[in-house]
Amino acid sequence: MDLRFHIALLIGKITALILKLKGSGATAAPGLYALNIDPDFVKKFSKQITNGSIIICGTNGKTTTSRIVSDLLSTKYKIIHNRQGSNLLRGLASTLINNSSFLGKVDCNIALWEIDEAVLPQVIKDTNPKTLVLLNLFRDQLDRYGEVDSIRKSWQTMLLNLPKTTQVILNEDDPGIKYLEKFARGKITTFGIEDKKVNLPQTTNVSDIKQCPNCSAKLIHTSIFSAHIGHYTCTSCSLKRTTPIISASNLIFERGFKTSIQLTLDNQKLSLNLNIPGLYNVYNILAASAVSYNENLDGKFIKNKLQQFSSAFGRYQKFNVNGKEIIVFLIKNPTGANEILKTISLEAKLNILVILNDKIADGRDVSWIWDTNWEIISKKVSNIFISGSRSWDLANRLKYAGFKLSNKYVYKQINYSIRRGIASLNNKDTLLVLPTYTALLETQKILSKLSRQEKWHQN
Amino acid sequence: MAPKLSLKICHLYPDLMDTYGDTGNIITLQKRCEWRGIKTNVSSISAGKDIKEDFDFFFFGGGQDKTQLIVAHDLQKKKHSIKIAVENGSVLLSVCGGYQLLQNYFKTKDGEIIKGIGLFDAYTEGSNDRMIQNLLIKISPDLENKIKETYPVTQSASHPVTQLIGFENHSGKTYLGKNVNPLGIVIKGAGNNGQDQTEGAIYKNAFGCYLHGSLLPKNPHFADYLIAKALERRYGIVNLKALDDSIEWQAHNQSVKITRSRG
Repeated sequence: MDLRFHIALLIGKITALILKLKGSGATAAPGLYALNIDPDFVKKFSKQITNGSIIICGTNGKTTTSRIVSDLLSTKYKIIHNRQGSNLLRGLASTLINNSSFLGKVDCNIALWEIDEAVLPQVIKDTNPKTLVLLNLFRDQLDRYGEVDSIRKSWQTMLLNLPKTTQVILNEDDPGIKYLEKFARGKITTFGIEDKKVNLPQTTNVSDIKQCPNCSAKLIHTSIFSAHIGHYTCTSCSLKRTTPIISASNLIFERGFKTSIQLTLDNQKLSLNLNIPGLYNVYNILAASAVSYNENLDGKFIKNKLQQFSSAFGRYQKFNVNGKEIIVFLIKNPTGANEILKTISLEAKLNILVILNDKIADGRDVSWIWDTNWEIISKKVSNIFISGSRSWDLANRLKYAGFKLSNKYVYKQINYSIRRGIASLNNKDTLLVLPTYTALLETQKILSKLSRQEKWHQN
Repeated sequence: MAPKLSLKICHLYPDLMDTYGDTGNIITLQKRCEWRGIKTNVSSISAGKDIKEDFDFFFFGGGQDKTQLIVAHDLQKKKHSIKIAVENGSVLLSVCGGYQLLQNYFKTKDGEIIKGIGLFDAYTEGSNDRMIQNLLIKISPDLENKIKETYPVTQSASHPVTQLIGFENHSGKTYLGKNVNPLGIVIKGAGNNGQDQTEGAIYKNAFGCYLHGSLLPKNPHFADYLIAKALERRYGIVNLKALDDSIEWQAHNQSVKITRSRG
C-alpha cells in the first residue's frame, strides 16, 4: 500500500467535505493539499484509468471544447472530467478526489482534462495522454504567463518527449499551432475552416504572429478570420496551410445567436444547425469532431450530438429571471473578447453589462481592453452598465470607443449592476453580461440565485 | 481667423510592436484632438518603410522579444530621421520595448548586444526579474510645471496632475546616463531598474517609459501636454480647450487607489 498516496487522498477528501459543508465553490483546494503531501498524486491515479486521457489545451475554447467532447464520448466511455474548468494540476487532483472512493478507486475508463497552456508541459507528464488537442495560442494575461513565443517553445519540447502512441490534434488555421506539427511524433489530425471569408464584421487585427514561426520570414495571409487565425503561407520556407482532415465550410452566422455549417469528416459531409454562436465556437466544434472522428464515432451520431449542444459554464450561458432573458459571455483576452463583440454585433440592439475585474485570475493588467474593438458595437447599444474593480478603466475605454454614456452607469457592486441591468429591460429585451473570469464566478452565483438555477458547482 | 490646426502622427512599427494595449495611446491622441477640432493624420511606418514626412508626433510601443529584434535592425535605417525630428522639436512617446530600442544599447541575458539609436543616453540589461505590476510615479518637477501650464488650469487645480499611473511588464533594467533626465520618481512599482527609483527618460520632447495601461487614456494631463507640445512646433503656443475629463480622472484615481493599497 502506498501510504503517502492514501494520506494525501484522505486529506483531500476531508478538505473537500469541509468546503462542501461551508458551501464554498473553491474547487482547487483539496487537490492542492493532496499534492503537497504526494506530488505524484495525479500520476498514480492516472495509472488506473485504462484508456488514458484526452487533453484539451489552448488559450481560447478549452472549456467549451471539452464539454462538447464529453457529450460526444459519454456513450462510449465512462469519463472523469474537470468540467468546472479548474485546469492546473491541483484542479485535476481535486476532480480525482471528488470522484474516487476512500480507497482511491475511480469509476471511469477515460479522463478528459482541459489544461492551462502555461502548465501543460509539466502536467501532461502525469496524465498518460491518449490524445492531445492544441486549439490555438493567443496573447492572454501576459502579466501572468509571459509571452506567446515562450509558451510555444515549451510546447515544442513537450511534443518531442511525448510517446508515439499519443495522437495529436492540431488547428491547421493557427500558424503557430501548425508549426508544431513537425515536433509531434504520433498520429496527427488537423482541423480548420475552408471558407475564404466569413460574414462577421472585421475588427482591427491584434495578431501575435507576424513572421513565420519556422523561419521568421514574412507570413502572408490570404484569409484572416481572427487575430492570426486564417489561411496563410510563408514567403520563404515550406510552412503553409493545407486542407485539413476535419473542416467546416459554408459558415452562416445569424441574428439570435444561430450558426450553420457544413462539417467535413475526411470523406463524409454533414450539414449542421448549431445552437451556439460565433466563429470561435465553430473551431471548438471542429476540435471536438476531430476527437470523435479518431474515436471512430458514427457521423450521424456526431451530427445529432453537436446540434443538441447548447453552452458551457459562462460561455453563452442563458438565464431566465422573471421572464427576462440574460446571456453570459466570458471575456478574458483581446482575441476572445473581439470574437464575442463580432458575434453580438449581429443583433439589432444591445443591452449590455460589462464587468472588468483585475484579480490574479483575471490578469492584473487591464490594458487588453485597448486591444479590443468596442467600437464595432458602439452604435448598437441602447443600455450600457459597467462594474468590477476596474470599472472606470472600462468606462474610459468605452468613452474613447464612441459610446454615449449616461451618468448612472458605473456600479461598484456587481450584484447591484446585475439587478439594475435586468430592471432596465423591456419585455422582449435580452441582457448580455460580459464578465472577466472572477467576475463570472460572482455573476454566476447572483444569476443562479435570481433564476433559482442549481449552483454551477453542483452541476 | 486662427488656422485650422492639424497633427501629423507617426505610429512606428504598429504591426510589430503592439503587445500591451499601447494602441490606446494613439486612440487617445486622435480623440482628444478630434474633440477640439484638431485634425489628426496617423501614418503607420513599419519595417522597410522610410520616414519621409515631417511628423509632429512619433509613437513607439512595446512588442514581443522575437519581433523586437527585427525592429532593432530596421530602426538603424530610421535613426537619422528620428533624431533630426526630435532635435527639431517633434514629440516622441515610447513605451517599454520602443523605449529600450531608442537607448544606446540593450544587453541580453546571454550577453548579446543589440544596438540602439542613442536618442536617450541610457542602456538596458536583461535580467531574470520580471517586473510586472502597477506602476505609479511622481512626475519630475520641471515637467510637472510645464504640464500645469498646458493642462487647462481649471482642471489642474482639482486633479492629481503630479503623477502618472500605468502597468509595467519588463525584465530589462534601464540605467540612465548623464545627458538624460528621468520622467519621474517611482512611488509604487519598479520603474527603470527597481533600484534607483527613477522611471523613464526625457530628452527634449522625447519621452520613454515602462507605463502600459494604456498610459495616455487615464493620464489626460500628460496626453494634453504632448498634444500641446506637438502643436507648438508648427503653430506656436496653443491654449488647449478644456474637456470634460471626469471619467479619465475616475479611471486614474481608481488605478492609483488599487496601486497604493496592493501594488
